[in-house]
Amino acid sequence: MNLAVMKTKAEQGLLEAFQSVADTLPGGADVQKARREAADRFENLGLPHRRIEEWKYTDLRQVLKEALPPSIGDSTELTIADVIVALGSLASLDAHKIVFVNGAYRPKLSTPMDLEGLEFSPLSSALVNGESKTGLTRTSGPKDDATLALNTAFMSDGAVVRIHDGAELAKPVLIVHVRAGKEAFSATVRHVIDVGAGAKVTIVEAFVSLPGVTDEGQINTASEIVVGDKAYVTHVKCAVDKGAVTHLSNWMVRVGKEAEYRGFQQTQGIALARNQIFATFDGEDAKLNLSGAFLGRGGDHIDTTLVVDHVVPGCESRELFKGILDGHARGIFQGKIVVQQAAQKTDGKQMAQAMMLSPDAEFDSKPELEIFADDVACGHGSTVAEIDEEMLFYCRSRGIPEEKARVLLTESFIAEAIETVEDEPVAEALKMFARGWLQAD
Amino acid sequence: MLEIKNLHAKIIEEDKPILKGINLTVPTGEVHAIMGPNGSGKSTLAYILAGRDDYEVTEGDILWNGKSILDMSPDERAAEGVFLAFQYPMEIPGVAGLTFLRTALNSVRTKRGQPELTTPEFMKLVREKGAELNIDVEMLKRPVNVGFSGGEKKRSEILQMALLEPTLCVLDETDSGLDIDALRVVSDGVNALRSPERSMLVITHYQRLLNHIVPDKVHVLSDGKIQRSGGKELALELEKSGYAEYQAA
Repeated sequence: MNLAVMKTKAEQGLLEAFQSVADTLPGGADVQKARREAADRFENLGLPHRRIEEWKYTDLRQVLKEALPPSIGDSTELTIADVIVALGSLASLDAHKIVFVNGAYRPKLSTPMDLEGLEFSPLSSALVNGESKTGLTRTSGPKDDATLALNTAFMSDGAVVRIHDGAELAKPVLIVHVRAGKEAFSATVRHVIDVGAGAKVTIVEAFVSLPGVTDEGQINTASEIVVGDKAYVTHVKCAVDKGAVTHLSNWMVRVGKEAEYRGFQQTQGIALARNQIFATFDGEDAKLNLSGAFLGRGGDHIDTTLVVDHVVPGCESRELFKGILDGHARGIFQGKIVVQQAAQKTDGKQMAQAMMLSPDAEFDSKPELEIFADDVACGHGSTVAEIDEEMLFYCRSRGIPEEKARVLLTESFIAEAIETVEDEPVAEALKMFARGWLQAD
Repeated sequence: MLEIKNLHAKIIEEDKPILKGINLTVPTGEVHAIMGPNGSGKSTLAYILAGRDDYEVTEGDILWNGKSILDMSPDERAAEGVFLAFQYPMEIPGVAGLTFLRTALNSVRTKRGQPELTTPEFMKLVREKGAELNIDVEMLKRPVNVGFSGGEKKRSEILQMALLEPTLCVLDETDSGLDIDALRVVSDGVNALRSPERSMLVITHYQRLLNHIVPDKVHVLSDGKIQRSGGKELALELEKSGYAEYQAA
């Protein structure tokens, strides 16, 4: 037998799981065809491993030991009160809530979505109703990405949201994913968000869990988001969990002419996370701001990998990712900025910073600039630091005890990234999550 | 009352002594100035009083109201009433001034056996103190000292001092980096905090600060020792003659 094609237990499990659930996954013939093609693609690719440059630091083939059974059409009994408990700091956010439990849409736990300027349908229905728009059966991300192929093969639900041209939503749209129950499972969700020209919206994706939930879980989530010309979009993902949870995430973002897209991702309490963002400028003079906060301790492994593609001239991209790493946690940041030949007057800046609370923690930072245009301003930086002793002394000289001062300073370090979220109630909730994590030590 | 007795100190991991037997007493309610050339040990003395752990006291003691403070942590000293106004106040990005101050004040109050202040109580106090000192408290909404001018940083130090209500104020080169207007605001603030219950130690290289904050006594620190002590007129004399005669040949 050829060793090169030998499948790991997890790879085999994933393929077997697909065979057994394929018929029960939502969607008409075209969707089923797309799923089977994606499953075939995954069979060829296998799980990504360290010999693939982009996966050098996150060897999924090595670390993903088994495939948990897919959860489809889950019906775990949950009340609105349960959702509030699971949401923690975000519970008090005044928002339009779209709630998923173990990957399945729950209208009774959600806010009625008959809003002016917004159309919503759960992906499970959209696939069946044959609305095979872009993004439902394919995504604009890389074709050879195994996590995306798995997402297309297994996607069972999600939010399909369309914001009308010129619509300004006063309240954020909060897409909630609750992990609940005693059974370990995998959930695969896909969101398709289409923001019309000149529209303004804040979308928050929260991945949370109910107290007492099983320690194991696998999430594969993908969001395809198209930002119309002159639109203004704030997009936040907050993955707050505990235990041995695996979180594989992909964002595919297209930014229209003179639009502004502000994306932020916070990851904490997740044993294994791979957050991929693929952003492309579709129109000139647009702005992209990507930032994130990652908090790891114990053996947590949190990977942020992004590719920003400047295709057209005059666009601005900014990235600020900050992490706090304790124990023997490992943080990874890979940031690639591509400036195509046509993309003159590109302005791109990137910064990745980690604060290490333990000598055994590790931070791998890999900026990559690929510049084919000659009139550009691009820069990147990366720092690794411990708590600043002078700042610590300053706090203590004002009467703040050492432990409290350490929490304050780590919190302030991470807050700088969180404060790129302009929606204040959302930013406050994210800070509360971070504070909870810091104090839980 | 502050009593510094035969204080010898050095930087940890270095052998060279910086303070070589300082003896100094500041009675309660008095303002004393310490003047001296660069490298005389002025800032070291300030840091040691506040409890910075880069320094090692090799001999002698510091008594505050009869109690040795050498074994106390910086935050314990703050609760005992010690306050150091920094020459270069630290910038702390990401922490709003108000959050920082409320955390500090409530930590100190807890240690002093006083109840913590609620947010409205705290805000009321901040506004009162700001008004008394003629300092705009709006700046406290921004992260601690971030992007502040030299004058704003020093004003923020004085406001912190007023809120924490220390009984021993150590001002380290408070005049450095200030223009004449900022110097006046800061000095007025310090003067407003002078009280019979409060001792102050004003550390400065230049005499000009002492035109605004008039001391009860002036001490000349050079080569790690107090070389001479006198009344406020000693500062004027130093302004004319310089420190040359006190420096090691």
